[in-house]
Amino acid sequence: MKKKLVAMLVLAMTGTMFLSACGSDGGGKTSDGKAKIRFASWDEAEDVDAQQAAVDKFNEAHDDIEVTLEAYGGEFDTKIAAGMGSNDMPDVMYMWNYPAYAQGLEPLDSYIEKEGEDYKSNFYDTLWNYNSYDGSTYGIPIGFTTHALFYNKDIFAEAGIDEPDNDWTWDDVIEASKTITEKCEGKKGFSFQMKPDPYDYEMYLWSNGTAYVDADGGLDGNLNSDKAKEVFQMFQDMEKDGYAAATEKSGTDEFRAGSTGMYVYGSWSINTLKEDGVNFGVVNIPSFGGQDSISILSSSGISMSKNSKNKEAAWEFIKFWTSEEMNKERIGMELPVLYSVVESEGIMEQPEYAPFYTMLEQSSDYTPASFIYDGWSELSESLSLSFERVFNPSAMENVSDVLDEAAQQ
Amino acid sequence: MTQKKLSKKAIPYLFILPWIIGFLVFTIGPLIFSLIMSFFDWPLAADPEFVGFGNYIEMFTSDKQFSKSLVISLKYAAIFVPLNMIIALFLAMLITQPVKGVKVFRTIFYIPTVISGVAVSILWGWILNGDYGVLNYLLSLLGIEGPKWLVDPAWAILAVIIASAFGVGSMMLIFYTDIKNIPIDVYEAATIDGASPARQFFSITLPIITPTILFNLITSIISSFQQVTLVMLLTGGGPLKSTYFYGLYTYNNAFKHHKLGYASANAWVMFIIILVLTALVFKSSSAWVFYETEAGGVAKKGKKAKKGGKRA
Amino acid sequence: MKMSKLSKIVIYILLGIMALYFLSPFVYMLFTAFKTEAEAVAYPPKLFPAKWLWQNFTDAWNSQPFGTFLWNSLLVTVGTTVGQVISCSLVAYGFARFNFKGKNVLFMVLLSTMMIPWDVTMIPQYMEFKMFGWINTLKPLIIPAWFGSAYYIFLMRQFLMGVPRDFEEAARIDGANAFQIYWKIFMPILKPSLILVGVLNMISVWNDYLGPLIFLQDRSKYTLALGLAAFKGVHETQIIPMLCITIIMIIPPIIIFIIAQKYIVEGTSGSIK
Repeated sequence: MKKKLVAMLVLAMTGTMFLSACGSDGGGKTSDGKAKIRFASWDEAEDVDAQQAAVDKFNEAHDDIEVTLEAYGGEFDTKIAAGMGSNDMPDVMYMWNYPAYAQGLEPLDSYIEKEGEDYKSNFYDTLWNYNSYDGSTYGIPIGFTTHALFYNKDIFAEAGIDEPDNDWTWDDVIEASKTITEKCEGKKGFSFQMKPDPYDYEMYLWSNGTAYVDADGGLDGNLNSDKAKEVFQMFQDMEKDGYAAATEKSGTDEFRAGSTGMYVYGSWSINTLKEDGVNFGVVNIPSFGGQDSISILSSSGISMSKNSKNKEAAWEFIKFWTSEEMNKERIGMELPVLYSVVESEGIMEQPEYAPFYTMLEQSSDYTPASFIYDGWSELSESLSLSFERVFNPSAMENVSDVLDEAAQQ
Repeated sequence: MTQKKLSKKAIPYLFILPWIIGFLVFTIGPLIFSLIMSFFDWPLAADPEFVGFGNYIEMFTSDKQFSKSLVISLKYAAIFVPLNMIIALFLAMLITQPVKGVKVFRTIFYIPTVISGVAVSILWGWILNGDYGVLNYLLSLLGIEGPKWLVDPAWAILAVIIASAFGVGSMMLIFYTDIKNIPIDVYEAATIDGASPARQFFSITLPIITPTILFNLITSIISSFQQVTLVMLLTGGGPLKSTYFYGLYTYNNAFKHHKLGYASANAWVMFIIILVLTALVFKSSSAWVFYETEAGGVAKKGKKAKKGGKRA
Repeated sequence: MKMSKLSKIVIYILLGIMALYFLSPFVYMLFTAFKTEAEAVAYPPKLFPAKWLWQNFTDAWNSQPFGTFLWNSLLVTVGTTVGQVISCSLVAYGFARFNFKGKNVLFMVLLSTMMIPWDVTMIPQYMEFKMFGWINTLKPLIIPAWFGSAYYIFLMRQFLMGVPRDFEEAARIDGANAFQIYWKIFMPILKPSLILVGVLNMISVWNDYLGPLIFLQDRSKYTLALGLAAFKGVHETQIIPMLCITIIMIIPPIIIFIIAQKYIVEGTSGSIK
């Protein structure tokens, strides 16, 4: 008898969980009848205060909506994955990895359409590609970064050479790195990541006229094309010849410490470098000579859960969060994404920010492999290992062999 | 009469009742759920699809990383478990020595355990950085060129072991508590008999603390297989996947690749492995663990304990 | 116990070597917390900061509502520790001092619950807590601890197994019932191991951040460990505030440890007579 009871209890428990995994519960209203919106962001520490203030402002202006901010910080992905897996996602959330999460998101095209053409065309055009998946738009852009070449002015002065400009090629970088490494003791001219994120690294292949995959997602003949091999070979040679350091992490720490003269990175480190008082400059990514250099985009958007109970209210909030006012508010945390704001705030006149917009304009028409290749997250893991085999000083394997092998999966 | 007998029989169950309730309410549901998941292709947001033993078959036939990660974790456990226990026991013996200032050392050895795991990982990342790390800088002052700890696959697993041995304090404290409660007159008798300290350790201390040795052995086997946080933050599984532990492999399958069903299958295979290891240890334990409650235990301990002696 | 001079010297040398390993990373961390970010990443590294920036600590503390986090952490830590000590000692006593049907199987089941990694039971657990309406409250972090956790039950059982059989015999002859024996005879002797369980649980709960991360949503519910983790961003980590909060966070556990040491040493004396 007892045994049966226990068994039934357990079954009932598991069964209910099973159902709640597939269905969803009611609600979505606060006790005083307001539409309740949960909003998740990845901002951390102090930035959260600024966000909370903006959310409060929205709540004050809307009698019928109450937004609560949930700041997940560096663990954003774990949290969203857990929420999505247990069917308890926030109504509105920051988003970047659309291929991984699109299935749980609401397509926003019809909402955008209702706002009229001017709403959409005020955003930098390239950004829409990065906030879409499989033909639908799943997020409204709120920020982005391209990559650019950071250089340390003091080190260039010490070495007695000209600072980089927007027309530099990689040959110029190699030349300068040589001089820096020889003239400044204990310093390297350039640094790049020993274990680059394959998503980011594709920009170098684009810049040299190739990509990881073709339009159908085929690797062979692309990832291991001669032009791709050229790119990897160049970086490996710089490391072998001792002019460049392959860094364990992003390279920001080495650059901050004044151990390296140049590195390519997103706008994330600008605030840190300013606070440190590093005397640095930013220019476009160097080109391979033939064509303009291309950058990958790390884009942030704001998305809606497809299971949200209050989609209209959620959209209302998304509109607020992507408005001119909020774009201005977030300057310093995020590069603004609206033409009108970039113009009115004179962003292009600020030398540390302008290159990121030039790179953005140069980089339209490119689609990262993550949006094309099914199962990118696993491919990315295996590519990452291949790249590391090329750049890790204790491996330094033959570029051609590694890429040929990697293309056969 | 029967009523009384029944209630007497029920007494042990009453004692363990809290755990039984907790198990039924909080634990078994999720456990069974994850077992069910392991037979599904279970993406994050789309509908799950039943695949039978598909996930298990994939692991054993086509997923090369499965066996690689398993070997890495076994290797880690084989080095880490005994090493950690020896260090813990050694420290526990050291901090029971009646010398001045030993209290301070006790606290020093325990400090690393209370530092949050995230901070510990970042700290060791700094210390062990090959080019700019503190450790290699110090070595360079001595004229030694330190290895690239987190870059060279040959050194990385050692780096992880060094960093994880930092948290040995809990195990030390467990041994320490046990050793502290050995009545002092047991040792006094032995000293009179002329037993050397080493002999006292092996013939008195060690047998008496076998129950806690068993505990530490089993729990550290389990935790070494589940090691995730440290490698995730310190090495990210690298260099060249040399520290891609089984725990990290499972975690990434769930939270990076969003294959919840597959990750559950990973977890249940690991469960079976740990279960077998634990069962073997338990089986062997009847030969080397001495409980007072069983016949043939170290009877001395109990009798002396009644006199209320203790080791100062 | 008397000790020769030589063995004392040997012991001090050993203590010193071990202390170097355990203390030097900590000292390095402590000094770095007073530096500027730029100094912290400088190479070659310097041990001492150019200027001791005490305001690093206040800045870090004020950058997030750490007062609230501290309160939540205290609630969770105290709440679980009391529950854990009570229920684990009961359950462990049941397993260690009685023979009953199904004991070995149940004990194996108990151990098994430690062997499934949390990553795969977390999502179903989340759904269950959601069913209970416990998400975004401290309940999922506190209430399960009142039903004992396998790790501490196992630990207590090992200690209880070390107590000789004739212990309860005498009491039983005096007519004490099972619960009285547990409470009046065993609890006093087990004081050191109860304190041990308390200390171990306190430290792991104090530093646990996965549980709070998954089950909490609003910042008003966050714990210290979660606030600490929030310094680690997606791209950049704010290292100095992180170290400052880490250092602040280890103060309470160290105090508890220093106090607890005394009781662990006091051990069995007095209570068994």
